[in-house]
Amino acid sequence: MSDFKRGLRASTPVLIGLVPAALVLGAQATTKGIAPLAVPLMTGLNFAGGSEFAAIELWTSPPHLVLIAGVTLLINSRHLVMSAALAPWLRHLPRRQALPALFLMVDESWAMALADAKARGERMSARAFSMSYFLGLSAALYASWVAFSALGALIGPVLGDIQRWGLDMAFPAVFLALLRGMWKGLGAAMPWLVSLAVAAGTCLIVPGAWYVPAGALAGILTAWIMVRL
Amino acid sequence: MIDRWTIATIVAMALMTYLTRIGGYLVLAGRRLSPQVMIVLDAAPGCVLIAVIAPMFVSGRVADLIALGIAIIAAARLPLFSTVLIAMLSAAVMRHLIG
Repeated sequence: MSDFKRGLRASTPVLIGLVPAALVLGAQATTKGIAPLAVPLMTGLNFAGGSEFAAIELWTSPPHLVLIAGVTLLINSRHLVMSAALAPWLRHLPRRQALPALFLMVDESWAMALADAKARGERMSARAFSMSYFLGLSAALYASWVAFSALGALIGPVLGDIQRWGLDMAFPAVFLALLRGMWKGLGAAMPWLVSLAVAAGTCLIVPGAWYVPAGALAGILTAWIMVRL
Repeated sequence: MIDRWTIATIVAMALMTYLTRIGGYLVLAGRRLSPQVMIVLDAAPGCVLIAVIAPMFVSGRVADLIALGIAIIAAARLPLFSTVLIAMLSAAVMRHLIG
């Protein structure tokens, strides 16, 4: 089997979680007054689920560009660490190939392609990283994410009041599951708790969505203070 | 039609995201990051995620708070897909029962 096909096939378990999430994202977007066509535009150009859920949660009409772009940057800041970790495996590729391929890097494709490379090459051999496998996996994830978010935007109105079906709870649930994946014990989670407390307090006192940067920056500051002590 | 603020916001998001995807490869790859910087970078995404959902914790709606508690327990034990289903189901049932 070719590596590309192997990548396509490896996407199946990821798609089980991704397809309903994309449908919910699209459906929620329309309840915020986003044009259905704008949904595949967002998911196709941005292609980073966490930041898209956050953007839609914070969406107003007209949208607050600086706030949403800033939150997108903060949420996706983990990509900096991920792409740095990937760099040694991409040494054998020219930049003109590596840079477009990195557009497709998401948590799942990053983790799975690295695991595949580590299984194939005992040592840190750049050639063990299969770009075809990564692209096969990414193609399936990208096509499904864009297509099903668009479908969600189209059938969203048919689903009716999203609150009644509990669909709006899917979004916090996705985030809680992502947090679970990042969990490294209560000590390491201290910055998260500070972020939660500051964000919750801010949202009760200050109107608008400023609770996100307020909480996030308080949490990051806590992490900084903790490593300095 | 899509209004121009929507398009501008989406393009801004896309630029930010692509910057984070190539940033680590272009800037951080050659250097060795200190463990301290790694720990702070590691904590940042979680801080943002939990800040975004913070209003749910202080919504004051009892049905939502119970559903949120169930979702946290589910997230701690189950994979993503089951967590999402259980969270949605508990929110729908609790809102129906308590309002």
